[in-house]
This record gives sequence, structure tokens and C-alpha cells, in this order.
Amino acid sequence: MNRSSSSPHLCVSPSQGRRTFLADVGLGCSGLALGALLNQDGFAREGAETAHVQPDGLSHFTPKAKNVIWVFLSGGYSQVETFDPKPALVKYGNRTFDEIPLPNPTNDPLFTLRSRAVVGGDRPHSKILPMQVGFRKHGESGIEITDWWPNLATCVDDISLVRSMYTTDTDHDAEFQMHHGRHKLDPPEPVIGSWIHYGLGSLNENLPAFVFLGEYKDTRVRWNFDANYLGPAHAGVELSLDPANPLPFGVRPGGILAREQKNQFEFINQLNRFSSIEFPHDPDIRARINSYELAFRMQMSVPEALDMSTETLDTQQLYGIGNETTEVYGRRLLAARRLAERGVRFSLVYLSDYGEWDSHRDLQKLHARSCGRVDKPIAGLLKDLKRRGMFEDTLVVFCTEFGRTPGVEIRGNHKEYTGRDHHPHGFTVWFAGAGVKRGFVHGRTDELGFHAVEDAHYVTDIHATVLKLLGLDPYRLDIPGRKRLDIDHGRPIAQIMT
Amino acid sequence: MSQLISRGTNRTGDLQPIRNNMMRYMTQSVLTAWAVSAMMPIAVLADRVDYERDVKPILKTHCYSCHGGLKQESGLRLDTGILIRAGGDGGPAVLGGTAERSLLVKRITESDESLRMPLESNSLAPEQIQLIRDWINHGALSPKDEQPEDDPRAHWAFKKPIRPVVPIVKNTAWLGNSVDAFLAAQHEQRGLVPLPAAQKHVLLRRVYFDLIGLPPNLNELRAFLTDESPNAFESVVDGLLERPEYGERWGRHWMDVWRYSDWYGRRKVPDCLNSYGQIWRWRDWIVRSVNEDKGYDRMIMEMLAADEIAPDDHNNIVATGFVVRSFYRWNYNTWMKDAVEHTGKAFLGLTLNCCHCHDHKYDPIANEEYFRFRAFFEPIDIRHDRVPGEPDPGAYPKYSYGKSYKPITSGLVRIMDKELDAKTFMYTGGEARNVIPNQPPVTPAAPEMIEGDSITIKPIDVPLTTWYPGLKPFVRREEISKAEADLATAKRIMTDSMASVATAKNDTQKVVADLTLRVDHMNVVRAEAALKSVLARIHADKIRYQNEPGDADDAARLASRIERMSILETARFELAQARRTLTLKKTGDKQPDDDKGRAEIKEAETKVREAAEAVTKAEENLATESVDYTAFSPKYPQRSTGRRSALAYWIASEDNPLTARVAVNHIWLRHFGRALVETTENLGRGGAKPTHPDLMDWLAVELMENSWKMKHIHRLIVTSNAYRTSSGGQQTSVPSEAVDPDNIYLWRFSSRRMDAEVLRDSILYLSGSLDSTMGGKEIDQSLGLTTPRRSLYFEHHGEGLMPFLDLFDAADPCDAYQRKTSIRPQQALAMANSDLCIREGRLLARRLTKQFNDQFAVTEDGTTFINLAWEQVLNRLPKPEEVEACVAFLSGQTQLYSTADADELQAAPEDEAVPASVDPMLRARESFLQALFNHHDFVTIR
Repeated sequence: MNRSSSSPHLCVSPSQGRRTFLADVGLGCSGLALGALLNQDGFAREGAETAHVQPDGLSHFTPKAKNVIWVFLSGGYSQVETFDPKPALVKYGNRTFDEIPLPNPTNDPLFTLRSRAVVGGDRPHSKILPMQVGFRKHGESGIEITDWWPNLATCVDDISLVRSMYTTDTDHDAEFQMHHGRHKLDPPEPVIGSWIHYGLGSLNENLPAFVFLGEYKDTRVRWNFDANYLGPAHAGVELSLDPANPLPFGVRPGGILAREQKNQFEFINQLNRFSSIEFPHDPDIRARINSYELAFRMQMSVPEALDMSTETLDTQQLYGIGNETTEVYGRRLLAARRLAERGVRFSLVYLSDYGEWDSHRDLQKLHARSCGRVDKPIAGLLKDLKRRGMFEDTLVVFCTEFGRTPGVEIRGNHKEYTGRDHHPHGFTVWFAGAGVKRGFVHGRTDELGFHAVEDAHYVTDIHATVLKLLGLDPYRLDIPGRKRLDIDHGRPIAQIMT
Repeated sequence: MSQLISRGTNRTGDLQPIRNNMMRYMTQSVLTAWAVSAMMPIAVLADRVDYERDVKPILKTHCYSCHGGLKQESGLRLDTGILIRAGGDGGPAVLGGTAERSLLVKRITESDESLRMPLESNSLAPEQIQLIRDWINHGALSPKDEQPEDDPRAHWAFKKPIRPVVPIVKNTAWLGNSVDAFLAAQHEQRGLVPLPAAQKHVLLRRVYFDLIGLPPNLNELRAFLTDESPNAFESVVDGLLERPEYGERWGRHWMDVWRYSDWYGRRKVPDCLNSYGQIWRWRDWIVRSVNEDKGYDRMIMEMLAADEIAPDDHNNIVATGFVVRSFYRWNYNTWMKDAVEHTGKAFLGLTLNCCHCHDHKYDPIANEEYFRFRAFFEPIDIRHDRVPGEPDPGAYPKYSYGKSYKPITSGLVRIMDKELDAKTFMYTGGEARNVIPNQPPVTPAAPEMIEGDSITIKPIDVPLTTWYPGLKPFVRREEISKAEADLATAKRIMTDSMASVATAKNDTQKVVADLTLRVDHMNVVRAEAALKSVLARIHADKIRYQNEPGDADDAARLASRIERMSILETARFELAQARRTLTLKKTGDKQPDDDKGRAEIKEAETKVREAAEAVTKAEENLATESVDYTAFSPKYPQRSTGRRSALAYWIASEDNPLTARVAVNHIWLRHFGRALVETTENLGRGGAKPTHPDLMDWLAVELMENSWKMKHIHRLIVTSNAYRTSSGGQQTSVPSEAVDPDNIYLWRFSSRRMDAEVLRDSILYLSGSLDSTMGGKEIDQSLGLTTPRRSLYFEHHGEGLMPFLDLFDAADPCDAYQRKTSIRPQQALAMANSDLCIREGRLLARRLTKQFNDQFAVTEDGTTFINLAWEQVLNRLPKPEEVEACVAFLSGQTQLYSTADADELQAAPEDEAVPASVDPMLRARESFLQALFNHHDFVTIR
């Protein structure tokens, strides 16, 4: 699993070089002086004062984490019913912001500063909806966790909560913003997984470095693993837990014999080697030959990595596999652990349907149900990582696109209002594992859970934190001609790091 | 605007406080009037800090945009050592030998962020600051002959191209046409020796893929190989440029540049938020225009303003799809933003988007000029137009919050000026909420630095049938025939009902039949009234709008009355229908004895009551006189502002220094794989330098002087010797490789991988499956591997690409001024495992086998088939070692299938369109051709 320092990326697109960057996976199938070619491959424009340095797959400084399991819950879970209890909501329940002895949060300058609607039409939510669930203190840290997370509550001493997140989109494009860092009205950036893929490459040449595990009907979900200008070579590869089709085009078609295809692959590479003799200066031939050898192995490795039958019953149960409610997400997280174990750098685990947590109505019922699907599997993952010693290498990030309004949502002509609206101003995410403090709470929202008031963090601070733990400096990954602002790079949340 | 670059003048009021702060700061700090007198030799510092090597790059990156050639905030320039020492309004910026007392160091180490330089960004890195300190402490030395930055307005791309003299070169033997002379001049200057010409088969393959995106077939290949005439290649080029596939190939290139996208947003809902339904008509316009060799200038004009310059021209009005494409239903500012950015990048090679929040950091374009450019687009809106033979798409709906909008599926979408007095207000920080208060709106203008402020705008009168398209003859024809058909149907139904009455067998049947007949009779009356209404309204329209004799008001009153009669007859018919339903419910076999039945009766009674009310209302409506009647379409503004056509004329003018250069640069990129200016979307000061500036200007002038015809430029380029040069191989001359390994100066041809579309289309083409149908509605992406149409006709939009094309780096629909090329294992999997490659490999094997059997005696050995396959797929014959490998592969596979378990062989899915052959030899050939698709030499164009 340790990669040698001389092994560059599995595959790189020439996002700034004219010449295709060579894929060298050390297979030694051609006698070309790869290093010489690479050295000659100038990325700098003529006259440019500082040449951009293509990442070499090494960290910029000592990393604390090797890989990341990024768990995303789509739709926006309520901070005040999950990780950020607010007794004031109970105390002032059913009163409006103007009727309570606290400052009206919608009069705070932060209200307009930190939110930006793509389309007009704000919905009223000034009447406070009491918390829909109880909270209890857990663990030695005594951190309060909702009663809807009974299993996760037992892991509270292993995680760092950040209760002071904010984002800026009032609608669900905040989901993509969480991954690429930009508001819908601004041009998108590469997603966090792609930066990591670009900066560090793979730990396992037979598996993609950045994978997506999840299912969706809405194709926009793919924006969450879109490499944007880094090029499709750095995009997340969608893996499926359906053994019939684990990765796109990754299965030998029915009726094609294994030996038949093996012969084909060998024949193809034989022909390509003839060409590499004919065209010794064609930089792409070697890359092509390697890509075929790799593809052939990937076709074997991916199903193996996703095959959970070799896991013990105990492990499966730990993740909630075998129970209808938790089966699907449990398998996804177990797959993520297996992939992390095999060197996949970044797994984006989509632990919900698209928009599942978007409880405009019936929040109590819907959140309780969704929590029930996630609780056991996520706790299982943390416990499993710990007992396998993977907690030292693997970083787990648990997040959503925004929180939900402390006020009740008034919308349409429903008989009663039972949900919360989108809320970019304050929400909670958590980190666990490599390089992260255990049993720690960072940041604070106001008494109503409305604004992030202490140590507020924009979403790119999560990216910066992840990159920092992986030993990467986002500024050093910048691409010439692609202007990134300081807010795109974010700032690491130093307080939660060990 | 000239003060933009004058020394020390702040253009924008909001920067004033900063400047004042700086002045105060400087006054306090000017302590010593230290003057540089002695210039130590630079060599002394070589082991320490070197200004050119260590300091200047830092200043250039972080400081020049405000203190250099472009701008001189506070009168300060930092682009030469002399200027640094001279300083600005606050005095010298450095005091040699005393870094800590130098203003420059104070400002870059300032703890107050509002004062610290560079403004609005992170502070310089400690090591950078240290370098500057060291430099100052060592005397702040710099070369005496150091030149300041050029005047930004003198940047090469901002001056009109003048046809350069074709250089005289030594290597005259190599010269094909003038293009070569420019390249040869560079070769000679740099000691490069161009490679010899490519072999004929290589060249033919190259030019086929380049011009039509498909390989030559065997006949074409063999004809060319045996054609010894001196103009054999030129004839091929002429032939290819006339083929319709040329428009598909190069149309797709321009679709990249112009950001073609089908509608998207929330396709699953469906909710069309971005781009628009029916925009495929713009795609077809692109292909058509490219094939017709329409002037590039005209194309620009039609894309930006066909509604103003050719308002009644259905075929070309769809060109405004370029502007429609940036539509974003949820936010008008985003639409404006994208229109500005991509008009700037696509046609002018200017990054106007950089001036959204501030003055441009490299080019002399002010923040305000961004908004003035936006003002050209400010009045626009989307408009739906009906087209002959298709249902009326209806009017463009106003957005209502929370509602979703399905894409239109008939007619066309286009741009028009809707708000003729729309005003453009400046806002700050790129944030449309922050409109600058009390500032008057800006007027439309393009950047002053290239004389865009002199554009004259004249409002344009819109033709009658454009602002009221319901007057068009085809609309009338279709409305009348629709009404007539409706009437004919009604009559036929009534005839049938009469027959039913006659044949009724019992009382119940008779009651039902009578009732039905009565309703059907009412229906005929309704249809007759509806037809009359159409005719009366047309008549009234003709008198009112088209000078037919008669009194317009009288005719309108009559039309109004007849239309209301028609409404009444419709209401009566509906009442009869409702009554019939109720009667049937009450008298039917099933007596209503349950809740459901009673509810149904109640509902039917409600409907009767409502229908009766509608009749009463329609009758009451007849009591009044009115001149109002329903128009045959929406009526639009009778004028257009003329803003966009003025902009378009300015862009597409020979006086515009950028337009033709941008075009030839894109064309060159796609012929040679590398643009003359690598940053195709940015020819400004921040962009790349041209590798062949004279060649670029020569081509730009050539384009303009040849009526902006692109085929002329293609012909020039592909018939140059440079284009015919070998891409290398074992004979590569080592000296040139060492001098120019990246082949920037084109001493050889650069081989490259096929574009995604070319790959997919060529596989289908070789097997004989490709459907050559052109144009039409976009095809579902999910059919990409099974429907054999060319790739450009499939859905291509910002929500997700066809996975197969995406894997091979298809264009990003939102930004593809240049594509990327990657080599990834997933591509290998797609080539090895996709239905497409498996199926087409089989079909090709069968096709070639048939050809083989037709042409050759059965005694022919396997080599002949191998040769045939190589010629077809790779356009060359195999070498002996390749033949050997193929023979071994074919026999090995044949052996495998002969001995494999039958069950295993038949494990293919039952629904497979083209199952593998059962004959082991044929199946081996199928496997062989599938493999050849995977050959590097197939996907590579050399």
C-alpha cells in the first residue's frame, strides 16, 4: 500500500500541458526514459515568472491521514435535532422572533451577509418550532446527542463536532457548493475529492483513487464528484454495490469468455508494443499500454474490493447489514472501509437519497426515519475503523449541505406546519479519525441555533481541514490561469486537529 | 477613459479612502531623501539576492496590476528598479540599505489588512518578504537598462492585424504555400529541421478525421494511394470540404466554442432552468452554416442579433440560440453574466468576466466597461415562435416562484428585445444585490481600448409579421385547416351517431343513442362556430394590420361577436355533454346504491351546474359590444433597441483587432492540436504569447479578405506542407527533438487521440451501422450505445454527458474553448466491454468476411483477411510481425471457441442485438476486430 516516491499519478489529464501527462505505473513494459520526457514537459508558459509544478503525488508536508471517507447526507439535516441542542426553542416554542427576549436573528447583519438566494421568494419562518426530539449527554466528553442517534451516541468520544458551519445558498445547490466550494451563481471549482486525487494520486494502482458510492435518480448528484477544470481523469469514479455492474463498463459482457478477453487484452498490448517501437517518441503509447493492463486488473480488483462475503457476520452486523432498515447504507460504509483499506484516497459515500433530509413537513417523522437508517451503519464504521487500527490513517467527515430553520416553515395551505426550511446560517458537521481530536466540540451557534456566532466556518474550511490532514496545501495545487480566491482555499479548522 | 492609465489618478471613487490612507502613511514615513547614486555590478549579488531572478517575479505577480503599466495607483510604478526608487505620491518606495524604513516593506508587512499590500489578498509569503528586504538591504540594485512594462494599449492583440510580409526563407523546397513560409522562418531561426512528408495513407487518414471526423473507406484509400497526379491531395481536400459530414465535424468544434448545450436544470422533474427546449435548431443552424461556408462575420451577427438583422428569417433566427444558451430561469443576472463572459471569450478572446468586480488586472478594461457591455443584452428576453407543421409552443411563461417548467417541444426558441428601456446599474463585488446607490445607469458600449465606445446604436423597426407572428400565412392556413378538420370530425361522429340511433335494439340503447346524437349535433354546431370565429378574426386582422379594405373597427366588432358566439356554442356543447353524463349515470344498468355511485352523481350534477353557469355567462357576454378578439399569437414590441446588432457589427467588423485572430486561432488549434495562442479564450495581456504572431495576423487578414470564409482557411492550412509533415516515428531527427521537444514550432505533425465523437462515430461507420441522417431533436443519451446516429445529435448538456463520450473527454457544455485529453483505464474498459464495441466489432467482422468472400478465392490464406481488416480499421497494411501476431491470435481464438464448453459459449444475454457467431473462425474474426478498435493506432491520428 505504500507507494514509492517515484511513482507519479495513475493517470493525469494535461489540464495545463499540451502533451498528455504520462501514466506510469511502473510496469516496465517499455524502455523509454520516462523521466526525461517528463522533465522536458514544460508546463510554464513562455515568459511566465514562476512555473507551475505538477503535483508529484507527495504530500507538501507530513500528513496525518492517508485517506478520507466523506459521508454526505443530502437535503440538509436539522442541526437542532441532531448535534446542536437548543433548549431555547422549547422555552420559546410557538412564539415569533419578535416575541422573545432574544435579538431577532433576521435583523442581524449576518442574515443578509451569509445568504444569497438564487431565486427570490423567501418563506416566512419566524415562529419558533420546539425541538422535535430529546438530547442526552454521552460518553466521558458529555457531548449532547439526539435520541435519534443511539448508536452514534456511543461513539461521541471519538468525534469532533463543528457546530458553527455556514454556507451561502438558501437552496439545494448548496449540496454541490459543499463539494466544490462555490455558490450556484459563481462558476464551480473542482470538488474536494478531485483536488485530493490531483494532489496525491492513488495508493493502489488497481483501484480508482476517488470513488463515489451511492445511488441517485437526479443526475446533478454527479456534480458532487465532477473534477471541473482538473479534467475527467480526476473525477470520482462511480462504483456500484450491484455485483453485476460494479464500475462503468467494468464487467466482461455476457457470453464473452474470460480466456477470450484475456487473449484480447494481451493481443492489444502486443500490437501496441509494436507501435511503441515504431513510434518511440509518441508519449501516449506507454500510457495506453499501461491503461489496458490496469483496466484488466481493475476489472478484477473492484469486484474483490466490493465483495463483502468475506467479512464476518459480526462485522456485517456491526454495520447493520442483515437489517432491512440499515442494510443499504451499512453496505455502502462497509464498502468504503474496504476501499480505504485497499488504498482508495477519497470515498464520497452518499448516505441518503437525493434530498432525503429535506423535511419541510413532518420533520419529526422523516428525520427519525432517516436517522434510523444512518445511525447504526455510521457508528459501525467508526467502531470497525478503531478496532482495525484504521482510525490512525482514515479521516471520516460527516456532513450535509445546510441546516434547518429554528422557526417553523409556513408554506402552502397545509393544515398544520410541522417542518423546517433550508438554513444556510448555522449547521453542524463532524470529523473523526486521523489527526482529529476525540470527544471535542468546536464552534457555537446562537441560543436559537440560528447564526454560527463563534468560530464560524464556511464550507471550504472543511476542505482545507481535509487537505491539511492529508498534508496538502491548497495554494500549491492551484492551476495557472484559474483564479482561486482565498475563500476557495478555505482555512483549516486548527482547533479540532490533534 | 484615458485617465485609466494616466499616472496617479484613481478612477473609482470607492478606492479613494485607501489612497488617502496611503498618502497619510507615506507622509509620515518619508524620512530620508536617500538617492541611489552608486550602481554596484549585479555580479556582486549573484550569490545573494538577484533583482531579476528573485524580486521582479514577486512584484510582477503581486503588484504590477496596480503599480505598473496598466495602472499607477498613488502615482507609483514598481515595474523597474528606477521607478521603484523614484516612488509615487508618497515618495520613494525603497530606501537602499534600509529595508525596514522603506515604504515598500512597511506596506507589505502592515498588520492592518486594509492597508497591507497587496490589497484584498493574502500577504506575501515570509520568504518573499525576506527576499525583498534582502534586496533593499543590499542596495536595491537593478539593471540600468531595465525597460518598464509596455503601454497595455500597445498589446499586440489590441492593434488591428496588418498583413505581414511573407518571410523569405532558405528552405524553399519545403514551401507549399505562405503558411509554410512563416513556419519555416521559425524553423531556421531555431535550427529545426522539419520531418519529411507523412506517408500517403497516414496523410489521408489524418485529413479525413480532421475534416469529416470519419475514416476513409477502402475505395477512397486505394484510389488515393494509386493517384499519382500532382493535385491528388488537393482534390481529396476539396471533396471532403463539400461533404455534409464536414459540417457535422466542424460544427461540433464550434459547438464547443459557443458552448452548445441542450436544456438542463432539473431534468428529472422535468424543469428547464438552463438553456432551453428546441435549442437543437441552433445546433442544426451551426452545422448548416458551416456546410454552406457562411462567412464567420455573418455567423457572429446572426448569433448575437438575427432578430434585428434578419427578423423574418426562420432559418436563421435560431442562431440567437447562442444567447438563449446562457439563459438561467432562476436568475436573470446569471444570464447576463454568462452572456457577457462568453461573448467576450468566444468572439473577442477577452476575459471581460474579470471586470465583473473590479478593473481588469491585466487589460485596460474598467469595471464600468463590464456593465456597459452587459447593457447590450439588458433588454432581452426569451421568445417562442411557432413553425409550420408543428403545434404552437405557446407564449414564453413568466416565472412564478416554485413552479417548474417543462421544456417546449415544438416550434423554436429565440431572443428578442423585450424591455426596450431596460437599465443597467452597476453593482459591487460581483454581487447583484449590491447595486451602487445613486449612480445613474450605464449606457451600452464595448471596451474603449479597442474603440468599442464609438458604437452607434439605432433602434430598429420590427416587421409586422414578426411583432405579430399570428399574421403569417402559414399560421392562418394551419388555424383554418385545424378548424376544418375539427368540423369534419364532428360531422363524421354525428353521422355515426345517427346510425346508432337507427340500429338501437331496445329502449335503453335508444335513450343513450338519442342523447349521444344530441350531444354530437351540438358538437357540429360548436365546430362550425369555431371555424367561423377563425375566419372572422383573420378577416378583422387583415383589415386592421394588412390594409385590406373595410372598416377595421366594424370588422373587429364582428370578429369579437362571432368569437363570443363560438364560446357560447362551446359552452352549450359542454353543457350537453355534462347532462348526458349525468343522465347515463342515473339511468345506467348500475343503480347508484353505494357511496361511490352517489359521489359520482353528485360530481356529475356539479359539472352540469357549472356548465350551465358557463352558458349563462357566455350568453351575457354577447350582450355587450366590443372590438376585442383573440389574436393568433402574442404581440411583441414593434421596435428593437438595435443594441445587439450594433455590437455584432462592431465585433464582426474588419476593424476589430481581435475577432479574426480569435477565429483563426481556434481553427489552427483543431488542425494541429495546439493553438497559435494557447489560451484560446484570452488573447489579452494575461493570456499566452502567440507562438507565430505573424502567421496569426496573416491568417486573420486572409480570413477577412476572403469574406470570412472558413473553408478557405481550412484549405490553406491542410494543403500546407506543414500539415503534410510526418508526425515522426523511428526516423525522428534527434536534433529538432532536443531543441523543441513539445513541437511548438511544428517541425513535425503532432499525433493525437481522436475526439470522443470521432471515436464513437468511426466505430459505427466502419461496421456500416452509422445512420447519416442529419439534424433534428436531440436524442436521449441513454441510447448512445445503441442508436447509430452521429454523436453530436445526442443530448449534450450541463447536467451530465453521455458516459461513453464523457470518458473520452467530450466537451464540457459550459466551457470548452479547448478540450483536454486523458488516458485512463476506464477508457480501456469502455472499449473492451461496451455493447457498442462488441456489437460493431461483430458487424464489421461479418462485413469484411463478406467482402473477403466476394473478392477472393476460398484458397486465399488468412493473411488476406488480416490485411483487409488492417486496411479498413488502421488504413495501412500490417508489418510481418504484426501479421504473425494476428495469425496467432486468430488461430488461438478459433481453437478456444472450438474447444470451449457449449454452455459457456452460449451464456450471452438473450436480448443481445447481434449475438456472437457460432462458427469458431468467424467468432475469432469478431474478437479480432473488437481488438483492433482498441489498437492505439486506431484511436490515434498520426
